[in-house]
Amino acid sequence: MGPHVIKQWLSGPASSSAATGATKPLRPQSGSSVVSAGELDNGPARTRPSRLSAEDDAKLVFGTVFSLRNMVRKLGGPDDHFISYRTGQYKLHYYETPTNLKFVMLTDIKTNNLRMVLHQIYVSLYVEFGVSSITIYVVKNPLSRRYLEAIALLFIDIVVAVEHPGGEGVANELFEMGLESFIVCPQFYPPSGKG
Amino acid sequence: MLDTDKAQNPRVVFALIIINKAGGLIYQRDFHEGLTKLSVNDYLILAGTFHGIHAITARLMPRPLAPPPPQKPTGIEVLESDAFRLQCFQTLTGTKFLLFTEPHQTNADVVLRRVYELYADYVMKNPFYQSEMPIRCEAFDRHLGSYVKSRQ
Repeated sequence: MGPHVIKQWLSGPASSSAATGATKPLRPQSGSSVVSAGELDNGPARTRPSRLSAEDDAKLVFGTVFSLRNMVRKLGGPDDHFISYRTGQYKLHYYETPTNLKFVMLTDIKTNNLRMVLHQIYVSLYVEFGVSSITIYVVKNPLSRRYLEAIALLFIDIVVAVEHPGGEGVANELFEMGLESFIVCPQFYPPSGKG
Repeated sequence: MLDTDKAQNPRVVFALIIINKAGGLIYQRDFHEGLTKLSVNDYLILAGTFHGIHAITARLMPRPLAPPPPQKPTGIEVLESDAFRLQCFQTLTGTKFLLFTEPHQTNADVVLRRVYELYADYVMKNPFYQSEMPIRCEAFDRHLGSYVKSRQ
Protein backbone atom coordinates (compact mmCIF):
# COMPACT_ATOMS: atom_id res chain seq x y z
CA MET A 1 0.00 0.00 0.00
CA GLY A 2 2.25 2.74 -1.19
CA PRO A 3 1.46 6.43 -1.26
CA HIS A 4 -1.25 7.27 -3.71
CA VAL A 5 -2.10 10.80 -4.63
CA ILE A 6 -1.99 13.20 -1.75
CA LYS A 7 -3.68 16.49 -2.09
CA GLN A 8 -2.66 19.16 0.33
CA TRP A 9 -4.21 22.54 0.64
CA LEU A 10 -3.27 25.23 3.04
CA SER A 11 -6.28 27.34 3.71
CA GLY A 12 -6.30 30.73 5.32
CA PRO A 13 -7.74 31.45 8.75
CA ALA A 14 -11.10 29.76 8.90
CA SER A 15 -12.21 31.41 12.10
CA SER A 16 -15.73 32.33 13.00
CA SER A 17 -15.29 35.79 11.59
CA ALA A 18 -16.69 34.51 8.35
CA ALA A 19 -19.45 37.01 8.88
CA THR A 20 -17.09 39.76 7.92
CA GLY A 21 -16.52 38.03 4.65
CA ALA A 22 -12.92 39.08 4.75
CA THR A 23 -11.12 35.87 3.94
CA LYS A 24 -7.52 35.83 2.96
CA PRO A 25 -6.93 34.55 -0.55
CA LEU A 26 -5.73 31.02 -1.05
CA ARG A 27 -2.17 30.62 -2.00
CA PRO A 28 -1.80 30.06 -5.73
CA GLN A 29 -1.78 26.40 -6.65
CA SER A 30 0.41 25.08 -9.37
CA GLY A 31 -2.32 23.58 -11.46
CA SER A 32 -0.99 20.16 -12.09
CA SER A 33 1.55 19.12 -9.54
CA VAL A 34 0.81 16.10 -7.43
CA VAL A 35 1.08 18.15 -4.30
CA SER A 36 -0.36 21.62 -4.48
CA ALA A 37 1.35 22.85 -1.39
CA GLY A 38 1.90 26.34 -0.20
CA GLU A 39 5.00 27.20 1.73
CA LEU A 40 5.51 25.58 5.08
CA ASP A 41 7.53 27.32 7.69
CA ASN A 42 10.49 25.33 8.86
CA GLY A 43 10.24 26.74 12.34
CA PRO A 44 13.07 27.96 14.49
CA ALA A 45 15.64 25.46 13.26
CA ARG A 46 17.29 27.55 10.60
CA THR A 47 20.59 25.78 10.56
CA ARG A 48 19.75 23.97 7.34
CA PRO A 49 18.68 25.68 4.09
CA SER A 50 16.01 28.12 5.05
CA ARG A 51 12.96 26.25 3.85
CA LEU A 52 12.16 22.71 2.88
CA SER A 53 10.95 22.35 -0.65
CA ALA A 54 7.30 21.66 -1.24
CA GLU A 55 8.11 18.06 -2.03
CA ASP A 56 9.89 17.55 1.26
CA ASP A 57 6.94 19.03 3.07
CA ALA A 58 4.68 16.64 1.27
CA LYS A 59 6.82 13.71 2.26
CA LEU A 60 6.86 14.82 5.87
CA VAL A 61 3.12 15.23 5.90
CA PHE A 62 2.62 11.86 4.31
CA GLY A 63 4.96 10.18 6.78
CA THR A 64 3.30 11.83 9.74
CA VAL A 65 -0.17 11.01 8.57
CA PHE A 66 0.75 7.43 7.73
CA SER A 67 2.34 6.80 11.10
CA LEU A 68 -0.52 8.40 12.98
CA ARG A 69 -3.01 6.39 11.02
CA ASN A 70 -1.25 3.17 11.87
CA MET A 71 -0.99 4.17 15.50
CA VAL A 72 -4.69 4.92 15.68
CA ARG A 73 -5.53 1.68 14.00
CA LYS A 74 -3.41 -0.25 16.44
CA LEU A 75 -4.96 1.40 19.47
CA GLY A 76 -8.55 1.73 18.45
CA GLY A 77 -8.99 -1.41 16.43
CA PRO A 78 -8.81 -2.01 12.69
CA ASP A 79 -11.93 0.01 12.00
CA ASP A 80 -10.86 3.13 13.77
CA HIS A 81 -10.25 6.25 11.73
CA PHE A 82 -7.89 9.03 12.57
CA ILE A 83 -9.81 12.26 12.10
CA SER A 84 -7.63 15.22 12.95
CA TYR A 85 -4.89 16.53 15.18
CA ARG A 86 -4.18 19.94 16.58
CA THR A 87 -0.97 21.62 17.62
CA GLY A 88 -0.53 25.02 19.15
CA GLN A 89 -0.34 26.62 15.71
CA TYR A 90 -2.48 24.68 13.27
CA LYS A 91 -4.93 21.87 12.84
CA LEU A 92 -4.62 19.04 10.39
CA HIS A 93 -7.72 17.27 9.09
CA TYR A 94 -7.52 13.91 7.43
CA TYR A 95 -9.90 11.90 5.32
CA GLU A 96 -9.19 8.60 3.67
CA THR A 97 -11.39 7.20 0.97
CA PRO A 98 -12.17 3.52 0.63
CA THR A 99 -9.71 3.46 -2.25
CA ASN A 100 -6.81 4.53 -0.04
CA LEU A 101 -6.78 8.05 -1.38
CA LYS A 102 -5.82 10.51 1.32
CA PHE A 103 -7.05 14.05 1.73
CA VAL A 104 -5.20 16.31 4.10
CA MET A 105 -6.14 19.82 5.00
CA LEU A 106 -4.37 22.24 7.32
CA THR A 107 -6.34 25.05 8.88
CA ASP A 108 -6.14 27.28 11.89
CA ILE A 109 -6.90 26.04 15.38
CA LYS A 110 -10.46 27.14 15.72
CA THR A 111 -11.87 25.10 12.86
CA ASN A 112 -14.10 22.25 13.86
CA ASN A 113 -14.34 18.87 12.29
CA LEU A 114 -13.80 19.12 8.56
CA ARG A 115 -14.13 15.48 7.75
CA MET A 116 -17.45 15.94 6.02
CA VAL A 117 -16.06 18.80 4.03
CA LEU A 118 -13.20 16.69 2.80
CA HIS A 119 -15.67 13.99 1.94
CA GLN A 120 -17.67 16.53 -0.03
CA ILE A 121 -14.57 17.62 -1.86
CA TYR A 122 -13.86 14.05 -2.75
CA VAL A 123 -17.36 13.22 -3.84
CA SER A 124 -18.38 16.28 -5.73
CA LEU A 125 -15.15 17.69 -7.04
CA TYR A 126 -12.56 14.97 -7.30
CA VAL A 127 -14.77 12.19 -8.46
CA GLU A 128 -16.64 14.43 -10.82
CA PHE A 129 -13.75 16.18 -12.46
CA GLY A 130 -10.87 13.86 -11.79
CA VAL A 131 -12.51 10.61 -12.62
CA SER A 132 -15.02 11.46 -15.29
CA SER A 133 -12.32 11.66 -17.86
CA ILE A 134 -11.43 8.04 -17.36
CA THR A 135 -14.81 6.39 -17.27
CA ILE A 136 -14.88 6.11 -21.02
CA TYR A 137 -11.47 4.50 -20.97
CA VAL A 138 -12.52 1.97 -18.37
CA VAL A 139 -15.77 0.95 -20.03
CA LYS A 140 -14.21 0.30 -23.37
CA ASN A 141 -11.71 -2.22 -22.10
CA PRO A 142 -13.09 -5.69 -21.42
CA LEU A 143 -10.55 -6.58 -18.78
CA SER A 144 -11.05 -8.35 -15.50
CA ARG A 145 -12.46 -6.28 -12.66
CA ARG A 146 -9.38 -6.13 -10.47
CA TYR A 147 -7.20 -5.15 -13.35
CA LEU A 148 -9.71 -2.48 -14.25
CA GLU A 149 -9.65 -1.05 -10.74
CA ALA A 150 -5.89 -0.99 -10.72
CA ILE A 151 -5.84 0.74 -14.05
CA ALA A 152 -8.46 3.22 -12.93
CA LEU A 153 -6.48 4.20 -9.87
CA LEU A 154 -3.28 4.44 -11.83
CA PHE A 155 -4.98 6.61 -14.38
CA ILE A 156 -6.27 8.95 -11.71
CA ASP A 157 -2.74 9.32 -10.42
CA ILE A 158 -1.47 10.09 -13.86
CA VAL A 159 -4.21 12.53 -14.62
CA VAL A 160 -3.37 14.55 -11.60
CA ALA A 161 0.38 14.34 -11.89
CA VAL A 162 1.01 15.11 -15.51
CA GLU A 163 1.40 18.67 -16.62
CA HIS A 164 -1.24 19.85 -19.03
CA PRO A 165 -1.07 17.09 -21.61
CA GLY A 166 -3.81 18.23 -23.89
CA GLY A 167 -7.14 16.89 -22.77
CA GLU A 168 -6.31 15.60 -19.30
CA GLY A 169 -5.14 19.00 -18.16
CA VAL A 170 -8.60 20.45 -18.61
CA ALA A 171 -10.20 18.10 -16.13
CA ASN A 172 -7.52 18.93 -13.62
CA GLU A 173 -7.94 22.67 -13.99
CA LEU A 174 -11.66 22.32 -13.53
CA PHE A 175 -10.96 20.48 -10.33
CA GLU A 176 -8.64 23.15 -9.06
CA MET A 177 -11.03 25.94 -9.91
CA GLY A 178 -13.97 24.14 -8.42
CA LEU A 179 -11.99 23.48 -5.30
CA GLU A 180 -10.93 27.07 -4.91
CA SER A 181 -14.44 28.40 -5.25
CA PHE A 182 -15.67 25.71 -2.87
CA ILE A 183 -13.20 26.57 -0.19
CA VAL A 184 -13.20 30.34 -0.41
CA CYS A 185 -16.97 30.47 -0.44
CA PRO A 186 -18.18 31.82 2.93
CA GLN A 187 -20.60 28.96 3.44
CA PHE A 188 -17.62 26.67 3.70
CA TYR A 189 -16.62 27.86 7.10
CA PRO A 190 -18.59 25.85 9.62
CA PRO A 191 -19.83 27.90 12.54
CA SER A 192 -16.97 27.37 14.93
CA GLY A 193 -18.31 29.84 17.43
CA LYS A 194 -20.39 27.21 19.15
CA GLY A 195 -19.03 25.02 21.93
CA MET B 1 -20.49 18.44 39.94
CA LEU B 2 -24.12 17.52 39.34
CA ASP B 3 -25.15 13.97 38.61
CA THR B 4 -26.82 15.00 35.38
CA ASP B 5 -23.62 16.60 34.34
CA LYS B 6 -21.82 13.34 34.92
CA ALA B 7 -24.34 11.43 32.85
CA GLN B 8 -24.15 13.79 29.93
CA ASN B 9 -20.42 14.31 29.89
CA PRO B 10 -18.64 10.99 29.84
CA ARG B 11 -15.47 11.23 31.83
CA VAL B 12 -13.91 7.93 31.03
CA VAL B 13 -10.17 7.78 30.92
CA PHE B 14 -8.88 4.84 28.96
CA ALA B 15 -5.16 4.98 29.56
CA LEU B 16 -2.18 7.09 30.53
CA ILE B 17 1.26 6.96 29.00
CA ILE B 18 4.31 8.92 30.09
CA ILE B 19 7.25 9.39 27.77
CA ASN B 20 10.62 10.71 28.86
CA LYS B 21 12.54 13.34 26.98
CA ALA B 22 14.43 10.81 24.89
CA GLY B 23 11.25 9.18 23.65
CA GLY B 24 11.32 6.15 25.91
CA LEU B 25 8.24 4.81 27.63
CA ILE B 26 8.43 5.22 31.39
CA TYR B 27 4.86 4.62 32.46
CA GLN B 28 1.84 2.95 30.95
CA ARG B 29 -1.43 2.11 32.63
CA ASP B 30 -4.92 1.19 31.52
CA PHE B 31 -7.85 2.38 33.58
CA HIS B 32 -10.82 1.40 31.53
CA GLU B 33 -11.50 -0.79 28.57
CA GLY B 34 -11.70 0.90 25.25
CA LEU B 35 -8.31 0.60 23.65
CA THR B 36 -6.86 -2.54 22.21
CA LYS B 37 -4.58 -4.37 24.58
CA LEU B 38 -1.05 -4.30 23.28
CA SER B 39 2.14 -5.97 24.41
CA VAL B 40 4.84 -4.07 26.25
CA ASN B 41 6.93 -4.03 23.11
CA ASP B 42 4.11 -2.42 21.18
CA TYR B 43 3.78 0.28 23.76
CA LEU B 44 7.49 0.97 23.60
CA ILE B 45 7.30 1.30 19.84
CA LEU B 46 4.25 3.51 20.13
CA ALA B 47 5.99 5.84 22.54
CA GLY B 48 8.99 6.19 20.29
CA THR B 49 6.84 6.78 17.24
CA PHE B 50 4.78 9.39 18.97
CA HIS B 51 7.89 11.15 20.19
CA GLY B 52 9.12 11.42 16.61
CA ILE B 53 5.78 12.55 15.24
CA HIS B 54 5.50 15.15 17.96
CA ALA B 55 8.82 16.63 16.90
CA ILE B 56 7.90 16.63 13.22
CA THR B 57 4.53 18.25 13.72
CA ALA B 58 6.15 21.09 15.61
CA ARG B 59 8.17 21.90 12.51
CA LEU B 60 5.49 21.28 9.95
CA MET B 61 3.73 24.56 10.24
CA PRO B 62 1.90 26.51 7.57
CA ARG B 63 3.33 29.92 7.11
CA PRO B 64 1.14 32.14 9.27
CA LEU B 65 -0.61 34.87 7.39
CA ALA B 66 -0.57 37.11 10.44
CA PRO B 67 2.76 37.91 12.09
CA PRO B 68 4.12 34.70 13.61
CA PRO B 69 3.00 33.92 17.15
CA PRO B 70 5.52 34.84 19.80
CA GLN B 71 5.74 31.47 21.49
CA LYS B 72 7.74 28.51 20.23
CA PRO B 73 5.86 26.16 17.92
CA THR B 74 4.47 23.17 19.77
CA GLY B 75 3.82 19.64 18.64
CA ILE B 76 0.61 17.68 18.74
CA GLU B 77 -1.65 18.64 21.60
CA VAL B 78 -4.82 16.82 20.67
CA LEU B 79 -5.42 13.89 18.37
CA GLU B 80 -8.94 12.80 17.54
CA SER B 81 -10.19 9.57 16.13
CA ASP B 82 -13.46 7.71 16.06
CA ALA B 83 -12.77 5.57 19.09
CA PHE B 84 -10.66 7.75 21.36
CA ARG B 85 -9.14 11.15 21.94
CA LEU B 86 -5.52 11.65 22.79
CA GLN B 87 -4.38 14.70 24.70
CA CYS B 88 -0.68 15.35 25.02
CA PHE B 89 0.89 17.60 27.57
CA GLN B 90 4.57 18.34 27.26
CA THR B 91 6.42 19.73 30.23
CA LEU B 92 9.19 22.27 29.96
CA THR B 93 11.71 19.50 30.43
CA GLY B 94 10.44 17.43 27.52
CA THR B 95 8.46 14.80 29.39
CA LYS B 96 5.21 13.99 27.62
CA PHE B 97 1.98 12.91 29.25
CA LEU B 98 -0.46 11.19 26.92
CA LEU B 99 -4.01 10.77 28.11
CA PHE B 100 -6.41 8.57 26.16
CA THR B 101 -10.05 9.39 26.76
CA GLU B 102 -13.43 9.06 25.17
CA PRO B 103 -13.86 10.96 21.94
CA HIS B 104 -16.02 13.75 23.32
CA GLN B 105 -14.36 14.41 26.60
CA THR B 106 -14.14 18.08 27.33
CA ASN B 107 -11.94 18.30 30.39
CA ALA B 108 -8.97 16.16 29.50
CA ASP B 109 -6.60 19.00 30.20
CA VAL B 110 -7.84 19.30 33.77
CA VAL B 111 -7.17 15.62 34.30
CA LEU B 112 -3.73 15.99 32.76
CA ARG B 113 -2.84 18.86 35.05
CA ARG B 114 -3.83 16.80 38.05
CA VAL B 115 -1.79 13.85 36.81
CA TYR B 116 1.17 16.18 36.42
CA GLU B 117 0.72 17.35 40.00
CA LEU B 118 0.63 13.77 41.22
CA TYR B 119 3.73 13.04 39.16
CA ALA B 120 5.54 15.99 40.71
CA ASP B 121 4.50 14.97 44.20
CA TYR B 122 4.96 11.22 44.17
CA VAL B 123 7.53 10.55 41.49
CA MET B 124 9.83 13.53 41.35
CA LYS B 125 10.00 13.92 45.09
CA ASN B 126 10.67 10.26 45.58
CA PRO B 127 14.37 10.04 46.51
CA PHE B 128 14.73 6.57 45.08
CA TYR B 129 13.36 7.43 41.71
CA GLN B 130 15.94 7.89 38.94
CA SER B 131 15.19 10.51 36.38
CA GLU B 132 14.13 9.27 32.94
CA MET B 133 13.78 5.71 34.21
CA PRO B 134 10.57 3.65 34.28
CA ILE B 135 8.31 4.75 37.09
CA ARG B 136 7.90 2.23 39.89
CA CYS B 137 6.45 4.38 42.65
CA GLU B 138 3.69 2.70 44.56
CA ALA B 139 2.33 5.94 46.00
CA PHE B 140 1.96 7.39 42.53
CA ASP B 141 0.07 4.34 41.33
CA ARG B 142 -2.22 4.45 44.32
CA HIS B 143 -3.09 8.11 44.14
CA LEU B 144 -3.44 8.05 40.40
CA GLY B 145 -5.78 5.10 40.56
CA SER B 146 -7.99 6.64 43.19
CA TYR B 147 -8.11 9.97 41.37
CA VAL B 148 -9.07 8.51 38.03
CA LYS B 149 -11.55 6.03 39.42
CA SER B 150 -13.26 8.72 41.42
CA ARG B 151 -13.96 10.68 38.29
CA GLN B 152 -15.65 7.86 36.40
